[in-house]
Amino acid sequence: MSIDIRLSNEKLQHESTDFSAERPLHLVIPGDIITREAGYMRGHGTYMENDVLYASVAGCVEKVNKLICVKPLKSRYTGEVGDVVIGRIIEVGQKRWRVETHSKLDSVLHLSSVNLPGGELRKRSEEDERMMRNYLQEGDLISAEVQSVYADGSLSLHTRSLKYGKLGQGSLLQVPASLVRRRKNHFHNLPCGASVIIGNNGYIWICPTINEQSDKTGGFVTNYERVNSSTREVIARLMNCATALAENMVVIYDTTLLCAHEFSLKYEVKELIKPDIAKEIALLTKQKIHNNDY
Amino acid sequence: MIRSNVFIRKTKRGKILKVVREHYLRDDVYCSFPKCEQCEEEKPIFSSNPSVDSKELVGKYLIIPDSNVVLHQMDILEDSSIRNVIILQTVYGEVLHRSAIAYKKLKDCLSNPEKKFYLFMNEFHRDTFIERDQKESPNDRNDRAIRTAALWYQKHLKPYEVEILLVTNDQSNKNLALESGIKTNTVEKFVKSLKNCDELADKLALTREASSSTGKTAVFEEHLPLSSIQVGLKSGSYIQGTFHASRDNYLEASVDVYEKDGLSILIQGQQHMNRAMQGDTVAIEILPESEWQSSSSLILEDDGEKNDESTISEDKKILQDISNKSEKKPCGKVVGIIKRNWRQFCGMLQKSLIETATRHLVIPADKRIPKIRIETRQADVLDGKRILVVIDSWPRTSRYPLGHFVRNLGAIGDKKTENEVLLIEHDIPHHQFSTAVRACLPSLPWSITEEDLKQRKDLRDLTVVSVDPPGCTDIDDALHCFQLDNGNYEVGVHIADVSHFIKPGTAIDVEAANRANTVYLIDQRIDMVPELLSSNICSLRGGEERFAFSVIWELDENAKVVNVKFTKSIIKSKAALTYAEAQMRIDDSQQTDDVTKSLRLLNKLAKILKQERIKQGSLTLASPEVRFHMDSETHDPIEVQTKQLLETNSMVEEFMLLANIATAKKIYDEFPSCALLRRHPEPPSSNFESLIKSAESKGFTLNVTSGKMLAESLEKSVLESNSYFNTMLRIMATRCMLQALYFCSGVVDQKDFYHYGLAAPIYTHFTSPIRRYSDIIVHRLLAVSIQADAPHPDFLDKKKTQNLCNNLNYRHKMAQYAGRASVGLHTQLFFQNKIVCEDGYILFVRKNAIQILIPKYGLEGTIFLDKSPVKFVYDETSGTQKCGDITFSSFDKVVVQISIDKTHIQHQKLCLKLVSPYIGGFSVSNIEEEPPQKKKRKS
Amino acid sequence: MAAWELLKDQNFRLDGRKPTELRRIETRLGVFPNADGSAYLEQGNTKVLATVYGPHEVKGGRGRSNPDKAVINCQFSKSAFSSSERKTHMKFGRNSSETNQHLVQALNAAVMSHLYARCQIDVYVEIVQSDGSDFCACLNASTLALIDAGIALKDIVTCCSATIVDEKSVVDVNYVEESSGSAVLIVGLLPKDEQIAYMQMKGRLHADHLEKLLDCAVEGCRNINNILKERIGEHLKTHSSHFTLTRPATPGRAERSRPAIA
Repeated sequence: MSIDIRLSNEKLQHESTDFSAERPLHLVIPGDIITREAGYMRGHGTYMENDVLYASVAGCVEKVNKLICVKPLKSRYTGEVGDVVIGRIIEVGQKRWRVETHSKLDSVLHLSSVNLPGGELRKRSEEDERMMRNYLQEGDLISAEVQSVYADGSLSLHTRSLKYGKLGQGSLLQVPASLVRRRKNHFHNLPCGASVIIGNNGYIWICPTINEQSDKTGGFVTNYERVNSSTREVIARLMNCATALAENMVVIYDTTLLCAHEFSLKYEVKELIKPDIAKEIALLTKQKIHNNDY
Repeated sequence: MIRSNVFIRKTKRGKILKVVREHYLRDDVYCSFPKCEQCEEEKPIFSSNPSVDSKELVGKYLIIPDSNVVLHQMDILEDSSIRNVIILQTVYGEVLHRSAIAYKKLKDCLSNPEKKFYLFMNEFHRDTFIERDQKESPNDRNDRAIRTAALWYQKHLKPYEVEILLVTNDQSNKNLALESGIKTNTVEKFVKSLKNCDELADKLALTREASSSTGKTAVFEEHLPLSSIQVGLKSGSYIQGTFHASRDNYLEASVDVYEKDGLSILIQGQQHMNRAMQGDTVAIEILPESEWQSSSSLILEDDGEKNDESTISEDKKILQDISNKSEKKPCGKVVGIIKRNWRQFCGMLQKSLIETATRHLVIPADKRIPKIRIETRQADVLDGKRILVVIDSWPRTSRYPLGHFVRNLGAIGDKKTENEVLLIEHDIPHHQFSTAVRACLPSLPWSITEEDLKQRKDLRDLTVVSVDPPGCTDIDDALHCFQLDNGNYEVGVHIADVSHFIKPGTAIDVEAANRANTVYLIDQRIDMVPELLSSNICSLRGGEERFAFSVIWELDENAKVVNVKFTKSIIKSKAALTYAEAQMRIDDSQQTDDVTKSLRLLNKLAKILKQERIKQGSLTLASPEVRFHMDSETHDPIEVQTKQLLETNSMVEEFMLLANIATAKKIYDEFPSCALLRRHPEPPSSNFESLIKSAESKGFTLNVTSGKMLAESLEKSVLESNSYFNTMLRIMATRCMLQALYFCSGVVDQKDFYHYGLAAPIYTHFTSPIRRYSDIIVHRLLAVSIQADAPHPDFLDKKKTQNLCNNLNYRHKMAQYAGRASVGLHTQLFFQNKIVCEDGYILFVRKNAIQILIPKYGLEGTIFLDKSPVKFVYDETSGTQKCGDITFSSFDKVVVQISIDKTHIQHQKLCLKLVSPYIGGFSVSNIEEEPPQKKKRKS
Repeated sequence: MAAWELLKDQNFRLDGRKPTELRRIETRLGVFPNADGSAYLEQGNTKVLATVYGPHEVKGGRGRSNPDKAVINCQFSKSAFSSSERKTHMKFGRNSSETNQHLVQALNAAVMSHLYARCQIDVYVEIVQSDGSDFCACLNASTLALIDAGIALKDIVTCCSATIVDEKSVVDVNYVEESSGSAVLIVGLLPKDEQIAYMQMKGRLHADHLEKLLDCAVEGCRNINNILKERIGEHLKTHSSHFTLTRPATPGRAERSRPAIA
């Protein structure tokens, strides 16, 4: 067995190009004054005292028209309607499941918000209620969409589309929700040979490629077919890439993930967890995105 | 905010603990040289042209002494010619750990702007801090730290042409310093190079090096190192104790063992004493029982300088001769010294027999201290003078400790000098009040303001009167009394409000707290507070308006307290009387003025109070007190009188007691854990044994089970035939008592608050703030409890109060001793050229002597019987000495002759000889001038 | 005591600090990837780890939850090797539950807990090495961990101790100074409004000294606050690059985030 030891001072020292130089970020920490001007609406991460707007979290000020909010580096997920999330069933209740989605309160999935086997919309019978555990039981992972947000911030989910539903074989990864970029599509069949679901709540699901039509059951059947090792390696590589990006605070969406995957190809999968390599990949990705896209 | 930029951890190992402490290094530690441009010192200490008054060192010099130089040669550094000295933190720390005396002196130097001493924090400086190398001893590290700092200074001040001189006596340190290019010198060479070296050279402490260089053989056994002493103490082979040298016999001493109360081990012979001195904490080894001896009652004095080697064996011979075989006591020998009790000693020079010699002996005033060898070139000047010396060391090779001269006090026999000696020996601070203290005084003319009037009760109309001993200028109490409409009496005790002028924490307060009390010598008063306060502004003089702290009672017909009030007031004393004057007014029925009337009322109430107090079990004790009448011109005593006790004495006393007790209750209620109180512990019954035995010899039984019992049985013990018997019993009873103590109420159990002598459950001192610091504290506490003053944080600090109490107790004891010594001094002066016969009474009968009290002079003396040509027989059971048909027992009346024994010109002492009853061959006749030489002395 | 002699005469403390100087402060945010927030703090030789979990659904029965605000739960512990003498069974010492309560009290003053109705916030603090002012370090580390977790705070609550010796007040006391027996005052401050969130005194002190001591401790809090702010700022800077990338990609999306519910 060999052990790979590296000292912290041997870490790559190349500092990232200062992206913020072009457009300086307005960074604040709790208690900092954001503005004394009146007429702004206070958004998340801010509070008003004596007509002065203060920050309540450490992060970046974002101003949209009259609304000012502060985005923290990381925090629990605050859901918005239409977000794609990945969650885990933690309780089966009456007519609803409780789902853990890394938001501050548990989310609910009503029995009425799921597509029952058969797919068609129909009235939920008592029979269905009794069968709930057969559909989804504690510990199951699901992908879903935020249907509505309650007053206390907790979410109501639905899976009324064929792309949502119970997740089968694959890997789950958790990253800060703030790193996930909102896109039109959060389901990607990556060309490298795997599918990813990038949940807005920071949960990322990586699984073998889903066949366009047949696999989208939206149902509750799990495919236990053996996954071949090459696919597994791809999944593992993607996992490590995503982790590398998250650790180095790089925005995660399909493009960055693919980029990172591309850069990672010169390394073995297991090497990717080394901090310096992870950092290198993240930086390269960041640079590439920066140069190409914007 | 300046933050450390370098950070080094310092580890310290003790037992199995590993203590990690932070040590911040700074770059804002400055050199304090005024011209230095790199440092931003605001108030540089050194002079910009620091020169040494030396023959060799020309140019600008700063001096760095090492630890040992500061520890041992402080007298040199204190000299005003030594200036511009860098004290390194390393040195400072070592001095702090090793010698409290040197540390205090060092601090004085550092705070004196004239001396230009600067404490350089080299351990906190980024460039001068060093870490200890693995194989380096702490001492070596410190030496290296000193060199590093010296080097830094040298480099740092190079542009200003200032050089550094490292003064060290350590040869290896010196060599290493020279190697690294630091100028060094030994103290001796340094002092010799100075222009005023003659003066300074005498103050040079003799170092081990200098003394051992003569290559003598060792006289004493080597002291064990502390580590092996500790091992020995643990295993029980050694015993720890305090060394007490005998006053009478320089070859004998005892060690009071710490663990076992009352056990004292006899140490005989200089060899066994092994350089231990009075007050040292020593480790001793018990000798085998076969070597045990009895203590000799011989009086031996070390006369003259002897050769070092020869004498020790001689000593042995003398001792063997005298030791009789009966009554053996455990003997021991000193194996090591745990803590020295060296201080400055007063003494006189015993000039060497060799004309040109520079080494001389000094005979200390305290007989328990051995002679000290010093080196001086001014022997002729110092001959016949009292001088102050300090002991530096006592090497094995020397029979006497080695010391050096500090100060010349004045001619022997000169009263001023002798008083000075007395004060120094009793550790009484008697220097002039400093400017800082005097700055705290109110300016004259002092007057009462409107503001004061508002805050105080105006009692100026009352007929207040003070009664004090004649010649008293610090009047701190006054009284008033009149009958109220309801038939009760209002009695007021007015105490000088000293705390109004002495605010906590001021220089004057610190000074007064240190002095603790005014010391009364026969012809001198050492004030606790400057005279302006003690004899003027605070003193409740007749006819003058003064601030007072008043206690006002309403007493009923039977002197029972109806209520009590405390208030700050303004009074105007109508008359300042002496005890005798007051007594005369009371007795003179012709006088009917207000003052006299209130005095009579007071007297009447006081009698009831006293009765009541005695009923409670308060003891009336006695001690012979005398007054000297001084010649108005020479200030020599011309007559001695015992103090007369008048009714008025006890009148004042009663009301003072009443006030003290009332105050004690009040402040204890208000401050349960930090009131300053006074207690008088009950003496253990063993203390009374000799008293009971003496009383029994005259057929009286004393009951000592309680104070009340004792008071009653003392009251009953009256002998028709001997009017002085009762007084003597009381004097003896006084000796059985323990010392009364100040204490902080938070540190003592409440049941121990009891004042045995006064039979009071709680007591304090309130009535003499001018002469006692305790009273000032009590005043402050009382003022707070009646909301007349704001509290000060220190009041609530139990620890501080108890520390203060310890000092008060110590000073009180020393003041008493000093007072007694002063009486002794004057008694001696009084009998200088007289031989007087006087009546006396036998106080105690000892195995080899009888102790005699002479009431007229309040004098106590001893007549030794064992050296007499006539054989006396001691009867232990009855406590009598017999010679033929004459028996001496306690309380017997005798006649003695008092004279001064002038055989030893420098140590004159009082001498008693028996006149009647006449014993042939022992007694002297009334007129005989030159009796045969005997050993007699005054205790 | 020799230590105080130096202070009295030369205005230096035993470790080379001046009376008003703090110890060296080191911080690291986000030391545990699995926690919502975490921080490591060194104040001299006092070293503390704090982790924050939450806000999350209240555990252990809904009865404990508060419909209006968050429940803050603190667990303080001291490792057995933290002091020079190794101690066993320290974890649930007498001090511990009391300290927990104190931490909760101080943090409640800062956390905008009404934003986290029915939630629970867990704060775990562990003293890794103890060298005086333990509580202060714990509170400071907890604050940092809360900030790392993105939990809304009114202000950065900072804590500092002070003691008084011979009329001289010294700030940020270390173990040696703490064990000298004089009263130690601990103040937790919300520096923006100069509000005292927490105050504790061990030992007896005369009332006259209190004001001076309080001023001293508050000044210490402010200084610590400035240092912590600086450190948080640095941390933000190095970890905020993703903001530049997220912003342009979400045109108009931010409008959808509603104003916070008052």
